[in-house]
Amino acid sequence: MQTRINRDSVSAVFLLLFCGVFIAASFEIETTNYGTLQSSVWPQIILGALSLFSLLLLTQALRRPPAPGEGGGLGAWLRRYRNPLICYALFLAFLVSLPVLGMLLGGILFVLVMLTILGGGKLAQLPLHLAIAVVSVGAMWAIFTYALGVFLPGGIILNLQ
Amino acid sequence: MLIENLSGAFSEVFSLGNLMLMFLGVSAGLIAGSIPGFTITMAVVLTLPFTFGLSAVEGLATMIGVFVGGLSGGLMSGMLTGIPGTPSSVATTFDGFPMARGGRPGLALGIGIWSSFFGGILSACLLVALAPQLARIGLEFGPWDYFALVLFALTITASLSGENLVKGVIAGLLGLLVATIGEDEVNGVARFDFGVDALRQGFAFLPVLVGLFAFSQLLSDVRDVAAARRPLMEKSAQAVRVEHLKAVRQIFRHWAQLVRSALIGTFTGILPAAGGSISNILAYDQAKKASRNPEAFGSGTPEGIIAPESSNNATAGGALITMMALGIPGDVVTAVMLGALLIHNVQPSPTFISDNPQLAYAIFVAFFLAHFIMIAMQAVCLRAFLLVVRVPMYTLASVILLYCAIGVFALNNVTFDIWTLFVFGVLGYVLKTLGFPLPPMILGVVLGHVAELNLSRALAISDDISLFVTRPWALFFLVISLFSAVFPWYQARRHEARWTLFYFPAFCAAIVLPLFLMEGVVRPILAGALLLIAAFTLWRHQQAGWQLPPRGSGAEVSQLRET
Repeated sequence: MQTRINRDSVSAVFLLLFCGVFIAASFEIETTNYGTLQSSVWPQIILGALSLFSLLLLTQALRRPPAPGEGGGLGAWLRRYRNPLICYALFLAFLVSLPVLGMLLGGILFVLVMLTILGGGKLAQLPLHLAIAVVSVGAMWAIFTYALGVFLPGGIILNLQ
Repeated sequence: MLIENLSGAFSEVFSLGNLMLMFLGVSAGLIAGSIPGFTITMAVVLTLPFTFGLSAVEGLATMIGVFVGGLSGGLMSGMLTGIPGTPSSVATTFDGFPMARGGRPGLALGIGIWSSFFGGILSACLLVALAPQLARIGLEFGPWDYFALVLFALTITASLSGENLVKGVIAGLLGLLVATIGEDEVNGVARFDFGVDALRQGFAFLPVLVGLFAFSQLLSDVRDVAAARRPLMEKSAQAVRVEHLKAVRQIFRHWAQLVRSALIGTFTGILPAAGGSISNILAYDQAKKASRNPEAFGSGTPEGIIAPESSNNATAGGALITMMALGIPGDVVTAVMLGALLIHNVQPSPTFISDNPQLAYAIFVAFFLAHFIMIAMQAVCLRAFLLVVRVPMYTLASVILLYCAIGVFALNNVTFDIWTLFVFGVLGYVLKTLGFPLPPMILGVVLGHVAELNLSRALAISDDISLFVTRPWALFFLVISLFSAVFPWYQARRHEARWTLFYFPAFCAAIVLPLFLMEGVVRPILAGALLLIAAFTLWRHQQAGWQLPPRGSGAEVSQLRET
């Protein structure tokens, strides 16, 4: 018997779980003795509709076999999404280190590492990547700080304001 | 009053600072639109952070510049390399590329540029004429009607944005749900904050939008390891001298084609969710059907360039009509503009033009002006385009990702907004990879508050919920929502299932009732006419023996879209 578990059925189950969590949370919303529409009503209407359509998606998904190319194991999945995963990991690292490195230093480092990894990690390209990182981030930092008057996070190391 | 508003708008739009910003905006749009994979929406989204420090007029004028530039920029790569820069210039490539390859690149570019110009100007005239009229109709709307209008906008976006209506609706509902997080506008009660202080304020619109759209788009662009390292365009192209005079002569020779395509573009733009990507193909298809030489299409005929290019620029005018008159975005770009208005504390609604006449007229003037700037900047940007396309995608993506972070931080000066950008960047990418369209979600985020506020107002006025189906405008929008929800099935089965023969007559007949219920003389007359059209269509089907349309008719449009 052919398995009916596919990408859409997993998405639908996840959406149903998500709706469950939010429906439970919607009952925690404070009830007021004023206003004609309680604050929980509108989210509950949306969640009701979302649950219904998630069930529809599940039914649709279970009625069709997995599309060719779906699946392939964790290794294939990691290979397929290598670049986006790297980008997310680097962006997360940039975000976590922001209070210490600040926008200028952290930004230059983020762009440099991104360019180096996505560009193939060739040492010969490092000076070019460094130049791109310094010039682009430096220019953006200067525009926002001096031209638009935005105080970007200075960081502990440089403590730029 | 009109003169006063116009002169006020002129003085603001023609100030030196604003002119410089518009030149920059149009140039950025032209270059961004010419880069394959770099959509106009992304360019407008990335412009938004620069507009925080500007006045509302300057900010919107710059964004309109990017929008108009982007719509016209797509033709450069399409004609010179055969790869359209944006989905809205796909059909331009069909004749623009053969004409350029056939030794007339200057003429091809000229026809494209001037068709864009004339199409845009015609839609600008319609914008000025129609937006205030439509806004007057919008003033008749009560909260019931407005709530139904939001439902219609979401339904049609869901049905037109993707292949699967269920996924489109889910995306729209997720957007509505995101808008409920944080303090509710009606009662001031915190919702879904899960004990996190930062969530009490809810998510700011811009980080959500940039995350969902730009962040996820960039990651899609660099997903392929090898492609990310290649230059944006491997096909070489050379700068050419644009043949302006010859191009204008050609366009005037086919003026009827130009006007028809501009009208198609404008009315496609008025529909929520139907943007330039649909209108350019629709106009090309209609131009081919109306042409005396349909066999010349695809080999480099001027008509094949005039139609798509005039219609895609005209779409912008149509989208602005809906945004300014009803406060409903016509597409994702105008959704971003609505966000920009909210940042400047301007609430888009049917009273927008009467409440903010100077800003409204400044938008009209800026839209006109952007087309003149586009003509002036095209030659300069053509050279810049040839340089930019040598850059590999990974370089562009790395720099823009950081720019997104700086841009969203600039909104409120809080790091939480960058976290929001990150979370919605992940969510947008995952949803896109799983086949959920993002435009309904973005519209859901933008319109969520409007829907809830109007639902609350409606219930505060009367607890009779039957008003949602008995008031003419509410009923009108609910009926067209229903038909727009069924539209994907109709489109997919119109050559196979007999029930599709009843779709159009049923639609006409269904909207007759709300039109008859409306006040005045014109709308009941319109209802009568629609009833006659429905009866006539049924009679024709009956005369033809209830035969389904052959595969060739209308299927060309979907085939072209797939191409």
